[in-house]
Amino acid sequence: MTAKTWWSKLFASNTSQPAFSQNPSATVIASQGAVVQIDKLGKEFQEGEIQRTVLQNVTLRFDSGEFVVLLGHSGSGKSTLLNLISGIDKPSSGTVRINDLAITELDERSRTLFRRDYIGFVFQFFNLIPTLTVLENVTLPQELAGRSSTVAQQSALHLLERVGLADRIHTYPDKLSGGQQQRVAIARALAHDPALILADEPTGNLDEETGQRVLQILLDLTRNTGKTLIMATHNPEIAQLADRVLRVQDGHLTRVIVHPDALEEVVV
Amino acid sequence: MTAVISNRPLWRLAWQRLRQRPLQYLLCIVGIALGVAMMVSIDLANGSAQRAFSLSTDAITGRATHRIEVIAPTGVDESIYSQLRRMRHHSPMAPVVEGYTLVEELGAQPMRLVGVDVFVEAPFRSYFGDDERLDAQSVQLLTEPGAIVLSQDLATQYDLKLGSELHLDIAGQHRTAQVTGIVAPNDTLNRRALSNLLFTDIATAQELLGQVGRLSHIDLIINQPEELQAIAAALPTGLKLETAEAQKNAVQQMTAAFELNLTALSLLALVVGMFLIYNTVTFSVIQRRPIFGILRCLGVTQGQLFTLILAEAALFSVVGSILGVGLGIVLGRSIVGLITQTINDFYFVVSVQQVTLAQSTLFKGLTVGVAAALFASALPALEAMNTAPSLILQRSTLEGKVQKLLPKLALLWVGLTLAGVALLRWQTGGLIAAFSGLFAVLLGAALLVPPLVSLGMKALASVGYQVAGVLGRLAPRDIVRSLSRTSVAIAALMVAVSVIVGVSIMVGSFRGTVVQWLDQTLQADIYVSPPTTTANRVLGKLNPEIVETLKTWDGIRLAVSYNDADVRVVDFDRQAKLISADGDVSQGKRPYAWIRPDLGADPWKALDTGSGAIISEALILRENLASPPETITLETPEGDRTFPVLAVFYDYSSDRGTIILDNDLYTALWHDDRVASLGLFTAPDVSVEETVAVIRTHFKGRQDLLVQSNRSLRQGSLEIFDRTFAITSALRLLAVVVAFIGVLSTLMSLQLERTRELGILRAMGMTPRQLGTLTLLETGLMGTLAGIFAMPLGFALAWILIYVINVRSFGWTLQMALEGRYFWQALLVAIAAALLAGLYPALRLGRMNIATAVRQE
Repeated sequence: MTAKTWWSKLFASNTSQPAFSQNPSATVIASQGAVVQIDKLGKEFQEGEIQRTVLQNVTLRFDSGEFVVLLGHSGSGKSTLLNLISGIDKPSSGTVRINDLAITELDERSRTLFRRDYIGFVFQFFNLIPTLTVLENVTLPQELAGRSSTVAQQSALHLLERVGLADRIHTYPDKLSGGQQQRVAIARALAHDPALILADEPTGNLDEETGQRVLQILLDLTRNTGKTLIMATHNPEIAQLADRVLRVQDGHLTRVIVHPDALEEVVV
Repeated sequence: MTAVISNRPLWRLAWQRLRQRPLQYLLCIVGIALGVAMMVSIDLANGSAQRAFSLSTDAITGRATHRIEVIAPTGVDESIYSQLRRMRHHSPMAPVVEGYTLVEELGAQPMRLVGVDVFVEAPFRSYFGDDERLDAQSVQLLTEPGAIVLSQDLATQYDLKLGSELHLDIAGQHRTAQVTGIVAPNDTLNRRALSNLLFTDIATAQELLGQVGRLSHIDLIINQPEELQAIAAALPTGLKLETAEAQKNAVQQMTAAFELNLTALSLLALVVGMFLIYNTVTFSVIQRRPIFGILRCLGVTQGQLFTLILAEAALFSVVGSILGVGLGIVLGRSIVGLITQTINDFYFVVSVQQVTLAQSTLFKGLTVGVAAALFASALPALEAMNTAPSLILQRSTLEGKVQKLLPKLALLWVGLTLAGVALLRWQTGGLIAAFSGLFAVLLGAALLVPPLVSLGMKALASVGYQVAGVLGRLAPRDIVRSLSRTSVAIAALMVAVSVIVGVSIMVGSFRGTVVQWLDQTLQADIYVSPPTTTANRVLGKLNPEIVETLKTWDGIRLAVSYNDADVRVVDFDRQAKLISADGDVSQGKRPYAWIRPDLGADPWKALDTGSGAIISEALILRENLASPPETITLETPEGDRTFPVLAVFYDYSSDRGTIILDNDLYTALWHDDRVASLGLFTAPDVSVEETVAVIRTHFKGRQDLLVQSNRSLRQGSLEIFDRTFAITSALRLLAVVVAFIGVLSTLMSLQLERTRELGILRAMGMTPRQLGTLTLLETGLMGTLAGIFAMPLGFALAWILIYVINVRSFGWTLQMALEGRYFWQALLVAIAAALLAGLYPALRLGRMNIATAVRQE
């Protein structure tokens, strides 16, 4: 065992799963959008003596370039589903495949590397790193992947210009408004050109007008590049902009609204 | 209207917090416990040694109010006792002869052999029956030669019975005695007092101790002032009347500086522990600021919050202090041997049979532990009290305050350092002022840590990025971001490591100085003395026949004889060591701090002619004299005599001060022609080792002799030196252990606080390895900073210890010897301690649940 492997193993959680290669073949991940296939996905939590089911037997598919909204109340299981898709959390049952790669079978390290390279995350509370400037926050995922700072800065500056923050690149997050912080978060989520964007209540902490502006920027940047966007929200107005809306309730996928405009609902 | 205030909900919150963060409080309790333990153990060991000596002295003094002592070391002529008795004073009077002996059957430890006259004992000591009636064992004591009475405890401990034979070793002379009586005092104090005493008849004691016709002192019980005056007036020259208390006080004064030094060093662990308490309480306040804001909204008063924080601190400090006292007692038992050894080596003979726990030690341990905790908690408690009734106050508010405080902290550093320097320069302030100055300098340096860390880390962030990429940028910024906590941990580690640097330099310099001094001073090839009852002080004298034989020994070209005694320096009204010599054992190579200008380079020639005295620098330095005195007045059996001071020499064998006089002058004035040790110079081509062996064999059976070659004497001296500083090493290590706990506690709390942020990093693709590296990078940086800051501070500490504390405590000038290893070793210790402390939090973070972490608010 080399020192490097030992070091990695020291901090990794115990698992016997095969490791994901840091450079998966180009066939695994499409250059633009990702296809996500979920089969019989379930998640349970142990709360003292009680076992609580958060997600139960969810099966669905997200197509490449599709914008899907997960609609539901707080605690319905939307965020858990996003966490399972991103590999942040492990399911109790079922599988998640992204472009045919079963990420639920990967070990912790491989899931992390996969997430770092192919997934972009936008959180409700922005979650910028307070000790890094705007530019440094955006370049962070690429730098974690060991890309040169010149390359990382190039794409970061381009995106910051697109979100209208080119003049604030050296500012620290605590000096920005909520809307500005979320725009930085969007730039950060897209800076490494991921195939899949996961957004968890991206406008939930913003006023209506700012929320709409931020949403527009997110959609412009994802839809034009054909990326797959999965967004959890409890705001029905956002649902109208999506290709497809899934209603999540008590851990079940209850209804699929195929066409938001026509409000044609299919009960699952 | 009287407002009803209930604290019950607050206590519930405090209890919940304790349950949520048990490890954090546990570490704090351990920190306090270690600090208190160190103080208690030193206090216990010092106290036990003092008490053992004091008890056995009291046991001998008994009810005596005064004693007649002789100025000459040879003792009181017993005819004086007869004369005084013939004067028919009303006051009771009892002669005493005492000395030290090793008894094979009693574990070969030094025992005080006390010869008394049982006929006159009753008013003084009641071990031998009451009043005028003598019990059977007293009669035996009188009638049987070599009869000895010992305590029941000793007899039981060593399985001795009436009639058991005892083999005594008195300064190398072997004698046989017999147990004829066993005394069993009713009270514990007396039992303990007798545990290192052997009683015998006065004539037997005189014979055994080689003091035939002489007494150590005469005890008196005087209640009438007229009687006192009459006796004082009747005393011939060379004798003095002293109170019984006077001698005890003199003995306690001897070790005062030594004990104060140990106590101050033991307090260092507690000071480092205070940083830990401050940090824990600050954490608990900062983490609960939102809750406090809500509580204030709901009507909790400022006073209630203040009380809550202080009560929490009081609770864990009480637990920590109680544990510390317990641990201190255990530690004290194990270090009492080390401390008594040093006291035996340098001051007086004491044998601690039982570690005695004084109530004051318990009280001191508990009080200082709790007071330190409350003091350290006061600032964060005030911070909590001033929490505005708001829901949105965040930790960043406090960090903002800290950033604004930085210039003020730098100014405070300047102020405290100046105050420290002023205290250190205050000559008449003594040791307390010196240690206060030292602590002011240390505290000032700790205050400078936050501004330095802030500046250093900001500068490092850009360099760090070049070296270690994004992690190299994150780590220093994270340290600055939590400056209120990280800087305290760095300061604690810095203080602990600076103690290592400072004490190492001091001990190293001390050792170097002593080695050089031994090299220059000890020029003879062979040293002969009676074996030591204790460790390095020669208490017996050489048999005169042996001295004469050795002086003319084949192969010996020169013999220098030495004698020593205690003397009172009239000018300074204190005791010092008097050495008489008939030649210079250093052969002119001894270094002098000052020589009277008209004497040239070697003042010994003037000494040889009896035209003055050579004194040690300790006499001058401990009296704060700016320059050597022209003369020195000593109390002699012939009255006070003034001697011109010829030179000042360096002497590291005694901190009381030493005076050297020519042997002839000494013999004439003190009426003592005995020889305590001999320095022999061999002729060329004579083997030293062979001569040593031959001398040993030749005198076997007459007197055990300690015959040492120059090399083994030096080696032995350095062993004593190292033994003396063994406890210092233990103390400085302990300070690091406490600091380590501080860093561990800080890191764990910081990681807990940043769980969400770190969870986001993990969600964005930071691998567990990168997170582990980030954590260790942060801790490594903290350790490195502590190590780097500790270097100049350690140097300053060493300077203070060498040039101020040592000079005021012992009157020794040491040559500072700097070695690179003191610094890099300290840096390594700091980094290793920090990295080790970071390992556990790093491991925990590697296994974090990202989803839960990101959800955390």
